[in-house]
Amino acid sequence: MGAMESSSSIKLDNVSKKYGAFHALRDVSFDVKEGEIVGFLGPNGAGKTTAMRILSGFFPPTSGRVFVCGVDMSKNPHKAKRAIGYLPETVSLYPDMKVLEYLRFVAKLKGVPAHEIRGHVRSKMSFCGLADSGHRLIGRLSKGYRQRVGLAQALVADPKVLILDEPTTGLDPTQIKEIRELIRALGQNRAVILSTHILPEVSMLCSRVMMINQGEILASGTVPELASCLQDREAIHIKITNKKDQERALKVLGGIPGVESLTVAEEVRGETFITFETSPDQDLRPCIMKLFVEQGISLSEIQRVQLSLEDIFLGLLKNGKLGRRFS
Amino acid sequence: MKKVLTIASRELGSCFHSWLGVLMAVLFFLISGIFFVILVLSYSKISMNPQQYGLSNFSGISQTQYIFGSFFSNVSIMLLFLVPIMTMRSFAEEKRQETLELLFTYPLSDYEIVAGKLLGILLFFAALVLPLAGYLAVFHWIGGEFDWGPVSLGFLGFWFLGTAYLSAGVFISSLTKSPIISALGTFGVLVVFWIFDWVDDVASGPWARIFSDLSPLAHYKNFTLGILDVQDLVYFGFFFFYFLFLTLRSIETRNWKS
Repeated sequence: MGAMESSSSIKLDNVSKKYGAFHALRDVSFDVKEGEIVGFLGPNGAGKTTAMRILSGFFPPTSGRVFVCGVDMSKNPHKAKRAIGYLPETVSLYPDMKVLEYLRFVAKLKGVPAHEIRGHVRSKMSFCGLADSGHRLIGRLSKGYRQRVGLAQALVADPKVLILDEPTTGLDPTQIKEIRELIRALGQNRAVILSTHILPEVSMLCSRVMMINQGEILASGTVPELASCLQDREAIHIKITNKKDQERALKVLGGIPGVESLTVAEEVRGETFITFETSPDQDLRPCIMKLFVEQGISLSEIQRVQLSLEDIFLGLLKNGKLGRRFS
Repeated sequence: MKKVLTIASRELGSCFHSWLGVLMAVLFFLISGIFFVILVLSYSKISMNPQQYGLSNFSGISQTQYIFGSFFSNVSIMLLFLVPIMTMRSFAEEKRQETLELLFTYPLSDYEIVAGKLLGILLFFAALVLPLAGYLAVFHWIGGEFDWGPVSLGFLGFWFLGTAYLSAGVFISSLTKSPIISALGTFGVLVVFWIFDWVDDVASGPWARIFSDLSPLAHYKNFTLGILDVQDLVYFGFFFFYFLFLTLRSIETRNWKS
């Protein structure tokens, strides 16, 4: 067991978190190894921030255990926290401090030896592109620069685990690109966990994805695994012109075997869009058209589309399950 | 301990980074200076012609008692306004700016965070109290005579009263995200404690006795009269550490509140 724990940089064992009666996390277990960049994906309020706060040692879980590089967070919080760098969702830094002054303050708190602080802080600043900004007031920095200071702050004391809560929100496209490159470079010899609700970011950065909603991990897998899952599902969009037919159309579609997650997507100017998922093995379109003609429902459009990561994600959120592969 | 000092020095630094800390210091020295000058002038006026003020035997009134006794009770009222402003930023501001969140993820104990913040504020308070000794030098220079005992006890009492108030202020600051609410709340609590001192004048019986015993001012008065009582020391020590303890409990609530 000791060997297993030391091989994973971060390990969660049946972690739950309750705020009063509200379950923010339910029985979550996973582990992340060195060199992995894991993406946490979920809508707002899914429990991403709660999970990150537990990982960062901000508060302890209600039950379950957290190991950081083999150290039990509840038994030896100081040692565990030293191995963690955390970038919170809203990068909040003391506006009345200068960049250099602030990073020195952080280095002292994280226990960097006094004679190393100078060189250590310098190297983090140049890594994050802050070499010339040491004497600027944090309160006067732009959002992008503040994000860099936040990242530099997380890197102080060379943590083996980096926890980044929505690191690219609120940045302009150039800044997003820069931050992503920094994260990619950092992920090579560390364990990185980042949360995001930007789906393309996940496929760009992460070696593994965890989808989380209502405090539970719905799916977890590598990006290729998720991609193969995409090929596995497809959607059919139907447009009917007469709104009065909607009820009957839904009833007919519901009766067809192989139709999953049937939804009325939107109603525009009397036209109704209905979408549902199906497996690509069978083409249901002829069957649907035949049934609609029999029922006298006027169909103006029928279209077969491949599911995107977004569709899978939305489907997951709705049903809490994902087809065969990740159930 | 090194980490406590790191937090304390940042806290102290933030007092001087903002115009608020400097303004507080300037106002404190200005108003306490005015108190001092008025007391010295009025004393010298009375001493010229005590009979005119209905005092037949002026030698019975000591300079120390008249000037420094009144001085210390005057500046203690200033604490009611100073302490809320000094402590309002400690936790409330950090909660509002959400900088506290990061502090909790560093390898620090809650105790080190609270102790560091309180120490930083106490250092600022020391920077306000110590220069008051300059008044002694001025008083000596203009030819005044004073007893060292009551004056130094007066300083000690003022320090204890201030630290007790500050501890309460830091606790109230840890309850809210708004510095303004923190300041108003602290002011309210301090005024209530202040009023405890009056209960003895308007009522009697065991309850009145309990209230007046709880009043920080009653204990402070002993110091300004030159009386050093262990009871007063215990009272202020308890007051200080009780609110320190409450502050620790209060920041622990992050563990179960969203």
